[in-house]
Amino acid sequence: MALRTMGVDLGSTTAKAVVVDEAGGIVAHRVVQMGAVSRRGVAAAIDAVLDDAGLERGDLGQVIATGYGRRLVPDVDRTFTEITCHARGVAAMCPGAALVIDIGGQDSKAIRVDEVGLVDDFAMNDRCASGTGRFFEVLARALECRLDDLDDLALAGGQDLEVSSMCATFAETEIISLLAEGEEPTDIAASVHRAVSARTLGLVSRVGRAAPVVMTGGVARSRAAVHFLAESLRAPVIVPAEPQISGAYGAALLGLESLQGETRVIGQAVDREHVHTGQQPNGRDCSTCSLGRAKYQPIDVELWTASIAADRRP
Amino acid sequence: MTTQTGSTVTRMQTTRAGGQMIADYWDNIFTARERGKHVVWYNGSALNPIFQAAGLEWCHGEAFSARLAAQHLEGPAQLAGAEYGYINELCSYSRTHLGCAVLSNGGGPAPGSETGVVDALDQQELASKLPKPDFFVNAYSGCSTGQQWDEMTYRVFGRSIPIFNVSIPFLWGNRPDSTYMAGQEWDEATDYVVGQLRELVTFIEAQTGRPFDWDALSESMSYIRRASELRLEGMALCERKPTPATYWDWVASIAHINFLPGDQALVDYFASVRDEIQARVDAGVPALENERYRLYFDGIMNWNKLGWLAKRFAEYDAAVIAGRYTHSSFWQEPQLIDPEDPLRGMAQHYLLCPINHSLKTLNYLTLRDCERFEIDGLVFHSTRTCRAFTNPQTMLASTAREHLGIPAMFFEGDVADASFYKDDILESRLVAMLESIDVRRAKAGV
Amino acid sequence: MNAILDRLAEVAADPDRYVVEWKRTHPDRKVAGVLPMNFPEELLHAAGFLPVVIQENNEPDTEGRVILAEFYCGYTRNLADQAAKGRLKIYDAFFLADHCVQLLGAADVMRFKQPHTPIFFGQFIASMSEPSTPARVRGELDHIVAEVERSTGVPLDHGRLAESIRLYNRDRALLRAVFDARREGRVHLSSKAMQNLVKSSMVMDKAEHIALLEQLLSDGIESHDPHARVRLHLSGHFCHAPKQALLELFEDCGAEIVDDDLYHGRRYITTDVREDLEPVAALSQWYFDRNVNVPCPTRVQHNADWDTYLTKAVSESGADGVVILMAKFCEPHMLLYPELRKALEAREIPYLLVETEHAGLPMETLRTRVEALVERISRRAAVAAS
Repeated sequence: MALRTMGVDLGSTTAKAVVVDEAGGIVAHRVVQMGAVSRRGVAAAIDAVLDDAGLERGDLGQVIATGYGRRLVPDVDRTFTEITCHARGVAAMCPGAALVIDIGGQDSKAIRVDEVGLVDDFAMNDRCASGTGRFFEVLARALECRLDDLDDLALAGGQDLEVSSMCATFAETEIISLLAEGEEPTDIAASVHRAVSARTLGLVSRVGRAAPVVMTGGVARSRAAVHFLAESLRAPVIVPAEPQISGAYGAALLGLESLQGETRVIGQAVDREHVHTGQQPNGRDCSTCSLGRAKYQPIDVELWTASIAADRRP
Repeated sequence: MTTQTGSTVTRMQTTRAGGQMIADYWDNIFTARERGKHVVWYNGSALNPIFQAAGLEWCHGEAFSARLAAQHLEGPAQLAGAEYGYINELCSYSRTHLGCAVLSNGGGPAPGSETGVVDALDQQELASKLPKPDFFVNAYSGCSTGQQWDEMTYRVFGRSIPIFNVSIPFLWGNRPDSTYMAGQEWDEATDYVVGQLRELVTFIEAQTGRPFDWDALSESMSYIRRASELRLEGMALCERKPTPATYWDWVASIAHINFLPGDQALVDYFASVRDEIQARVDAGVPALENERYRLYFDGIMNWNKLGWLAKRFAEYDAAVIAGRYTHSSFWQEPQLIDPEDPLRGMAQHYLLCPINHSLKTLNYLTLRDCERFEIDGLVFHSTRTCRAFTNPQTMLASTAREHLGIPAMFFEGDVADASFYKDDILESRLVAMLESIDVRRAKAGV
Repeated sequence: MNAILDRLAEVAADPDRYVVEWKRTHPDRKVAGVLPMNFPEELLHAAGFLPVVIQENNEPDTEGRVILAEFYCGYTRNLADQAAKGRLKIYDAFFLADHCVQLLGAADVMRFKQPHTPIFFGQFIASMSEPSTPARVRGELDHIVAEVERSTGVPLDHGRLAESIRLYNRDRALLRAVFDARREGRVHLSSKAMQNLVKSSMVMDKAEHIALLEQLLSDGIESHDPHARVRLHLSGHFCHAPKQALLELFEDCGAEIVDDDLYHGRRYITTDVREDLEPVAALSQWYFDRNVNVPCPTRVQHNADWDTYLTKAVSESGADGVVILMAKFCEPHMLLYPELRKALEAREIPYLLVETEHAGLPMETLRTRVEALVERISRRAAVAAS
């Protein structure tokens, strides 16, 4: 039986599991939505990914858990924090990445990664849910739209309204009062996104800005969130095709490395496996990568700069 | 109960025109280098008459931060500060100003580089405006952070620019004889500050290479004394019901009394302020069309919300008449100034900063002004990053309730960071307080 | 040995109980509550007081929770709460020398809630290098002496003051011996136990504390090999003790604390009062010496800074990283933080900023951050080795 390792990332609202082969390539991956941190959710993700990979639990060389609920995952060989795992996963998915912004259901973090993919510095939000997935749920509820519709709404917004309260508790009242004042939902959605991005910028400023920027986590699936983050960073933001699995993927790779008895330069294992085409800001050729099928979504910075000029109040 | 009749504030013509004096002052600072002037950055006490007499151009750090906030231009400096490492719970005056120092010193990311959050354009915009200092002087009263702030500015500039610290003792009131402007503690503190002001003059002489012009100091202090008297005369007219001018008008004149040059123009300005108020009294023109409540404002100013706040209170027919920030600061005891020998009166005003007193004196000042202006309620601006001003507020509220039977409200905001402001809270608390005033009046049969 | 450590831990955990018990056994003596950081306790000791540095307690803030606004540090808000609950009535007088705007806010609450207990503020000027500062500090000390004499009704005996100074120096020397041994890897006490050593010293009668320390040192402190993966220096917290749950968390995440500059650590014990000077002059000199030995960002002094001290301390202890423990809302710390960060980054010393509060620390999030620091340090070491 060839060597396989699994990474399990138990977050606040989703459980993710990834199985890799001995070269670090992804064999199977799965994201399971949960209501809250749940053992059942993590079991579902593990079962599904094993099923996809055609493996039994006993076939795995190592199981590494990460994420907010990492200590709740049963029968693991060891745990790593999501900081270390995201850095490792992103370095493999996108070699050369210098700054990782991960925004999940209830937390957000900025991780500066060095040239070989080790964590240089990181910052996390404390208890405030501002700018996390939970916050966007509040926004959607206040605007009475589906979470999926928020993107179109926000991207259609023009006017920049003053949104002062970034507290998830107060934001709902504030949004409702903006609606009551007759403001357009599109403008409100765009303005809230802008305010959230400004907060994320605060997190970034704590670790120092660096490029290329890679965004991961559930919120990275939102076109609007990525758009406004890039706008406030005034830099392109790269999003892997599966932005939610980078932590679990990193965990699986760390498991693999511990079995292989060495800590290899991050990205190396993946580089051997994949042909990268397309241009990244660091000159690397990379539009497909680690998964062999993942597509980056490069963001056109000039387009954004123009939209900033158009959107901003004089 | 409380209804919105929607008064609007009739702004004073003089303070509107006075805005130009401030704009001119800053424009003048921005060109100091071209004119070959020495520039001093200072914080805290109004040392400007000393700088004026020494032929310097002076830039007050808090004032510059306040101005940026009032013009909604604080963002880039605060971002530069955040990128440098200042946490957003830090005094927003200081992190805005330190952000300017970072930019002004090119301490931010190299222009055009991709590593900085603040881009080169913003940097140039700000950095080109605020000239680098030739030296710093710090004379912060009350707030311990003030002295540490300039020490950091000194470090941001690579520890290469001279700095002089004047330490202003806190008036704690250790002894039974310690009261407002009296007692052994007051006398000793005065002597100590006077001594340091003399040392400051020696320091400035060394920096400029010129002997200090004591006559020029006397002259400018005589103008300031006169301007202060006129300002107080205008304030006294506001004891009338309805008031002819509001707290917001006095806020609009803070810059003038706090750091504009002591000269005839300053006296003329406050004469015209006083005259306009007198003319309103004579013509029976109130500041608010329908004054129903007379309020006292305790807190440092929320500069980026100033006009908005004035409008908000007026909408509820609430005339904000006096406040700790306006009425217990800024050369407010002109009788202490002896133009022939001005240092002592200056030192005493530095000690009289309204954040340099312990609760005992602040209770005295608050009750005094509430009675004098027949105040119905107190508004406390709980200022997120200004602990010095917020310190005794809940205790002041209980004292006012106990001694005068008047209610109080609190709202959260900040001096220069709008993100700490919660509009809904202000409005609901204001309405609740006005309702309680109504209830009190109904009970009293007023 | 465990009995001694247990006794010190007991006093550290409940200083109020110690004070009440001491008053019971010393009915004719007074207890002085001292606020951090620079008040010379020796003066009070010589006048017959039991000087006690008032500690943050472990109760949730309730009655006094709203007296100071929520943006005050955990210590000052807790002091206000203690005052509101009447917990500070066990003190006969209060003394402080430090001009911190938040601390003075708490002191105002204490005076408001307990108006009949004298609270004396002898302000030690924070700008250390101005020519007028030494004379002013000496003047304030004279005022403090006068207040102490007023309180006791008898003149201060300078011979007894010299004796108190020797006693305090002895206690500090013994504590330093343990701290130095930890730094050199000769003893491995948990950071909680280390905190208890210092915290109990702030509370207990000095002679009693010294006797316990001497016993502890002569018995010897157990040395065992820690399983720690990384060695950390704890930095910050100028006024109150970091929560012990937090200290345990660091160790639980695989770190060993090898040194610190905490007030409840090196900062409190590093500087002795000179015994070769007239005693009051020596206390004045002590104030200036303290800021040279372990500089504090609350002071302004150009030839001494905390960042230089910190990087030097890290290189002496061989710590792999630094945890910066910042009492949330502590302005001097927030002001200096970028300079600390710059100095650590320049030397490639990994660090983690942890902001602390009186209650409700997000322990799971903190665990992630601390573990991430530990992983960051160990992975870097592994890569360097491979």
